[in-house]
Amino acid sequence: MLEIANIGVRFGGLRVLDDVSLQVGEGEIVGLVGPNGAGKTTLFNVISGTVPHQAGTLNFGGSRLDAMPAYGRARCGIGRAFQIPQPMHALTVAENVHVAQRFGAGRVDRRAQAEILDLVGLTDKAQRDAATALSLTELKALEVAKALAISPRILLLDEVLAGLEAHGKRMFTQLLAEVHARYRIAILIIEHDIETISALCPRVAVLNFGKLIADGAPAAVFRDPAVVASYTGVPADA
Amino acid sequence: MQEVMRRASRHRSVALAVVIAAALYVLVPFALRGNLYLMSLVVASLTIGGIAVAWALLGNLGGLISFGHAAFFGIGSYASAILVMKSGWPIFPAMLAGGICASLAAVLVLPALRLKGPYFALAVLAYAHIFRIVATEWKALTGGAGGIGSIPRFPVLLGFDFASKTGAYWIILSLVLAFALIHFYVRNSDYGLALRAMHDSEEATRAVGVNSLLLKAMMLFLSAFMTGMVGAFNAHYINFLEPDYAFSGLWTMLPIVAAIFGGYRTITGPLVGAVVVYLLDQLVFKAVMPIGHQIMLGAMLGAMILWNAGGLLPAIAGWWRRHRGPLAPHA
Repeated sequence: MLEIANIGVRFGGLRVLDDVSLQVGEGEIVGLVGPNGAGKTTLFNVISGTVPHQAGTLNFGGSRLDAMPAYGRARCGIGRAFQIPQPMHALTVAENVHVAQRFGAGRVDRRAQAEILDLVGLTDKAQRDAATALSLTELKALEVAKALAISPRILLLDEVLAGLEAHGKRMFTQLLAEVHARYRIAILIIEHDIETISALCPRVAVLNFGKLIADGAPAAVFRDPAVVASYTGVPADA
Repeated sequence: MQEVMRRASRHRSVALAVVIAAALYVLVPFALRGNLYLMSLVVASLTIGGIAVAWALLGNLGGLISFGHAAFFGIGSYASAILVMKSGWPIFPAMLAGGICASLAAVLVLPALRLKGPYFALAVLAYAHIFRIVATEWKALTGGAGGIGSIPRFPVLLGFDFASKTGAYWIILSLVLAFALIHFYVRNSDYGLALRAMHDSEEATRAVGVNSLLLKAMMLFLSAFMTGMVGAFNAHYINFLEPDYAFSGLWTMLPIVAAIFGGYRTITGPLVGAVVVYLLDQLVFKAVMPIGHQIMLGAMLGAMILWNAGGLLPAIAGWWRRHRGPLAPHA
C-alpha cells in the first residue's frame, strides 16, 4: 500500500535520507527505530509532505504522492500523530476531531467522532480547551484521535509513547492495539522503547545515518550486528 | 437542557440584533434629520467601518495583517466609476462589479500568502503603491492624476432618492451589516473553525487535510471584495476620484486604528470602533486641536491598547460579565 522507493533527502550539504526503500502493506504494523538523528522523523515528514525529497518515489494505494501537498496526502488517508503534540490550540477537543474529520475525511459523522473520543478516552474532556485542559498523555491521545478522524488507511505515529510514565505507556500500547484491531489500518510507528516495539510490531525497520540498515522480525533485527552497532557505537566486526 | 438554553440564548441574540439594526435604519436618520454635516460624518464613519470589518475578517479569520487595503478600495472605486461612465452600467451592479474587480486584483497578492506577519503586510503595502502608480499613469482609462469628475450619483428608486444623505446612509449601513453577517456565518462554519485553528497550528491543520493556503486565499478574496464594494460606494457618494485620494494610505490606516480600537477579534468591534474613533476625532479632537488632532487619535489608541489590548467591545463585554452575567458569544 505504502511504497517508499530510493528516497533521498539533503538539508544543504547534509544527507539526511539516503536511498531509503520501505513498503508497508494493508493493515500491517511496522516499527521504525534508530538512534537519534537517524532520519526517522524526516522520513515521516517526507511521507506526510512537509519535507520535499530530492530523489526516489512515493506511492500510496496506487497514487503517486511526490507532488501532492500535505493536505492532499491526509485526504488520501495518511494520518499523522506528531512527536510533540500539535493540537489546534484555538479549538476544543471535540472541535479538533471535527475539523480533522470534516476536512480529512470530507464528511461529518458525529457518531464516529464520539466513538473516536471514547476510544482514546477523551469523551469527558470533549468540550474543554485543547490547549490548556489536557495532560501530556491526553494531548498524545488527541493526536491519535485527530489522525483517526481523517479515516486513515495508514497511521504515522511519531514517538507517541515518548515522555509517558510506565502506566501511560501500557495504556497507550493497549490503545494502539485496539485501534489496529478495530479499524484494521496500517500503522508505521517510531519508538525508542525496544520492549514496546517488539510487543506491538511484528516487523521492525531500522534507520541509521539516513540509511535503512535492517528490516524484519523484531527478534532477528535486534540481534543484527549492524543494528547493535548503530545503538552501541561499537562496530559489528570489533 | 444545555442545548435548549443555547438555542434560547441564540434567539435572544438574533432578536436583539434585529432590534438594533431596525433602530439604526430608522432612529439615526430621524435623530439627525436636517443636520447634513452630522449625517455626512456618520456616513464617512460607516465607510471606514466597512473597510475595518473587511480588514478584520482577513486578520481575524485569515490570520493576515494587511497594510494595503487602500489598493482594494481604490480598485473598487475606479472599476465602478469607469463601468458606469464608460460602459453605461447601472450603479448598483457596477458597485458589485467593483467588489469583484478588487477580488480579482487580489489574485496578484496570492504569492505573498506564503509570507507571514510583517512580511505579508509590507508586500501588500507595496502592492497598493503599484496600483496607485498604475491609476496615475493609465490616463486613457483613469484620467491620470487629474482623476475622474462628475461620477454619477446614486439613483432615485421607488421614489426614494438614494443620492441624499439618508439614502447613502442606508446603502452603506446595509453594506456593513451584510459584511458583519457574512463574517458571523463564515466564523461559525466549519471553514471558520479551520481558519481559527490555522493561526497557531498551520502544520497541524494541513496534517488533517485542511488546505490552509486556499482558505487564506478565500478570506483575502472576500476581504478584497468587501473593501472594493465600499470603495465603489464612496466613488458614487463623493462623485470624484483621483489616484492619491482613492489609493490613499488613510484608507488603510484609519480602518486598522478603528478595528484595533473596537476589537478586531470580534465581529462588530471594528464597526463600533470606526464610528467611535471617527466621530470623536471629527467632533471633539478637531474642535480642541484643529491642527494635528490626529495626535489625540494616536494617544487614544495607545491608551486603549494599554488598558485592554482586546479593544473596546471585549472590554465592555468583560465588564458586563463581571457585573451582569455572560453575554452572547461572538458579539
